Amino acid sequence: MIVLGSTSEVAQAFVEEALNKGEKFEKIYLLTSNRETTERFARHIDVKFLQQAEVIELDLMKEIDYTRFEKISSGLLFCATGYLGEGTEEGLYDNKNTERIIDINYSKLVPVMNYFAHKFESRRSGTIIGLSSVAGDRGRQSNFIYGSAKAAFTAYLSGLRNYLFDKKVHVMTVKPGFMATKMTEGLPLNPKLTATPKQAAASIFAAYKKQKNVAYVLPIWGIIMMIIRNIPEFIFKKLKL
Amino acid sequence: MKPNFIQKVTNWGNYPIVEKEMKSDDSFRKIKEFIRDHNEVIARGNGRCYGDASLGEHIFSTKKLNKFISFDRLNGVIECESGVLLSDVLEISVPQGYFLYVTPGTKFVSVGGAIASDVHGKNHHAEGCFSEYVIEFKLMVENGEIITCSREENADKFWSAIGGMGLTGIILTAKFKLKNIESAYIRQESIKAENLDEIFRLFDESESWTYTVAWIDCLQKGKNIGRSILMRGEHAFQHELPQNLREKPLRLKKKFEPTVPFYFPGFVLNALTVKLFNLLYFNKQRKKEINNFTDYETFFYPLDAVHEWNRIYGKSGFIQYQMVIPKETGKEGMRKILETIAHSGNGSFLAVLKLFGRHNPEAYNSFPVEGYTLALDFKVNSKLKKLVDQLDQIVEEFGGRIYLTKDSMSRSSLTNYLRNTESSKFVSLQHKRILNNK
Ligand SMILES: Cc1cc2nc3c(=O)[nH]c(=O)nc-3n(C[C@H](O)[C@H](O)[C@H](O)COP(=O)(O)OP(=O)(O)OC[C@H]3O[C@@H](n4cnc5c(N)ncnc54)[C@H](O)[C@@H]3O)c2cc1C
Repeated sequence: MIVLGSTSEVAQAFVEEALNKGEKFEKIYLLTSNRETTERFARHIDVKFLQQAEVIELDLMKEIDYTRFEKISSGLLFCATGYLGEGTEEGLYDNKNTERIIDINYSKLVPVMNYFAHKFESRRSGTIIGLSSVAGDRGRQSNFIYGSAKAAFTAYLSGLRNYLFDKKVHVMTVKPGFMATKMTEGLPLNPKLTATPKQAAASIFAAYKKQKNVAYVLPIWGIIMMIIRNIPEFIFKKLKL
Repeated sequence: MKPNFIQKVTNWGNYPIVEKEMKSDDSFRKIKEFIRDHNEVIARGNGRCYGDASLGEHIFSTKKLNKFISFDRLNGVIECESGVLLSDVLEISVPQGYFLYVTPGTKFVSVGGAIASDVHGKNHHAEGCFSEYVIEFKLMVENGEIITCSREENADKFWSAIGGMGLTGIILTAKFKLKNIESAYIRQESIKAENLDEIFRLFDESESWTYTVAWIDCLQKGKNIGRSILMRGEHAFQHELPQNLREKPLRLKKKFEPTVPFYFPGFVLNALTVKLFNLLYFNKQRKKEINNFTDYETFFYPLDAVHEWNRIYGKSGFIQYQMVIPKETGKEGMRKILETIAHSGNGSFLAVLKLFGRHNPEAYNSFPVEGYTLALDFKVNSKLKKLVDQLDQIVEEFGGRIYLTKDSMSRSSLTNYLRNTESSKFVSLQHKRILNNK
């Protein structure tokens, strides 16, 4: 298994869920910009599941050295890379913030995804799981820079799914709603609409097993986003969402 | 939306509830920053202490320090981060033939919390507290430095942090020993006792058993005071097990675990329902004595089988009152305590009696001292403070003390036994309350 964004709690929970459910991997490749915490996770799964893992550095904001990925070979890619940034007014007019959000969630991420997609394509098998966001379903005033990058990522995944279909590679788009993670810590989230990383991982794993194309982590989000997508624009633009 | 980390926080008793800053992180650098940026910090594990011990102005939750570091499967030594729960440890250790040397009555406590409270189990008389098996831990102290503490290295910090209720710093990781087991089952005997004299006699007779504990029906009066069931147990050897368990002795079948879905309205728990519960509980066991095998979950963690059972006490919450009275006068003290409770009509669902063994003089901040300990749950209501006061009075008279990890309203003279924990950085609401009431 290859993990992009290995410090993500959902990614880590997904790895544990898969191992708990008896999935076997020759090796788990943990790609990360944070070696320290990822090494800790690698040790953890080695102790807990006797599962070998290797930490490989990947910082999307730096020049990427693809030779590091050459030896990686696997039939499952889990991409949890994401950056929320500042969704505030100051955040909006801060170019650094804007660029970073777009880079990490989309523009710098896609070439890396493509690199691995190519590997999968030549194997003619495997699954790519990409974590996008409900924020990408419709732009809202509170986080539309992030939302727009995720919208682009959603479109990318959908196209990739289409492109890889007859090459026997499956692509699954996951749209978590609120999740209780580092990214959202300290935000007043409604507990009924919020999944823990563990719940999210269980739901994503089940969807992966069923070869779903698009999966919401909590089913309620499918309904919420359907409503949100269908509010006429002349009303929507007046809402404070 | 800008993150603001202020939230409602409360521990297992749902009393008190505070609105304070709570943050969690798995990066040691971030934890250091948190300590540096705040005046009053306190660590919180899984919030299974009942009262106000892990509440403070700025709470650092160790929830994200949840990784294993090493497991020496040959010698049964495990090292993990402090937010790892005992349940996580058991999940990997039991199938390998290892169990915790000391476990409290719930497995949902963190390793850090177990050290900071120096928890005890049903085997205190035989095997002591959690700390006996701790080899070393890493502690982040006031200036954010991480120091390794063991019996040899920084021994003063080691012993003050054990039972130190988080007042000496944040425990980041810990290494401790596990005990060998041949099976995940316990050979158990339960014996009914009609009154206090009988239960005390049974405790004395059971001294050679590793695990002993008694459930008391604390609504009984007069000559029935102390009516109880003593349970004693040993880890079962493989050859002792019934045939059907012998094949995979270290694996338990997955059981259904119900959750209490909401807070019960206040009127559900009253003297009558408590009486009914105790009646049912004690009459469930018809025979004087039952011998059988039970899995470790049922034996050690009967309450964990119902998740969030604390909600049955309703929104106003409950307290657990746990005291210890030294051995010499213990029986007399217990009798007085039970009489006072029966008289008050303020019943307790859960009343657990145990005999503590000797206090480890090195672990000077540990709660257990040789004697009798009783733990009781009381729903918080307008009469409770008065009852607590009466009970405190008796405990004081008999030279006993209150368990800090469960305290939220006892008098400070019974809870101020900690030494060498003074810090201007690590401060809990409990500690402030105790200092202010002195
Ligand atoms: C059903 C039930 C049964 C119980 N039975 C028993 C029993 O039989 N015996 C017994 O001894 N106890 C028992 N307890 C109490 C429980 O074992 C202790 O309160 C334990 O300390 C809780 O651990 P926690 O991780 O939830 O810590 P918390 O409740 O979050 O914190 C407890 C204390 O530890 C400190 N602390 C937590 N983590 C750290 C850290 N990383 N570094 C420094 N300080 C830290 C906190 O500041 C606080 O003072 C029981 C509790 C319940 C709910």
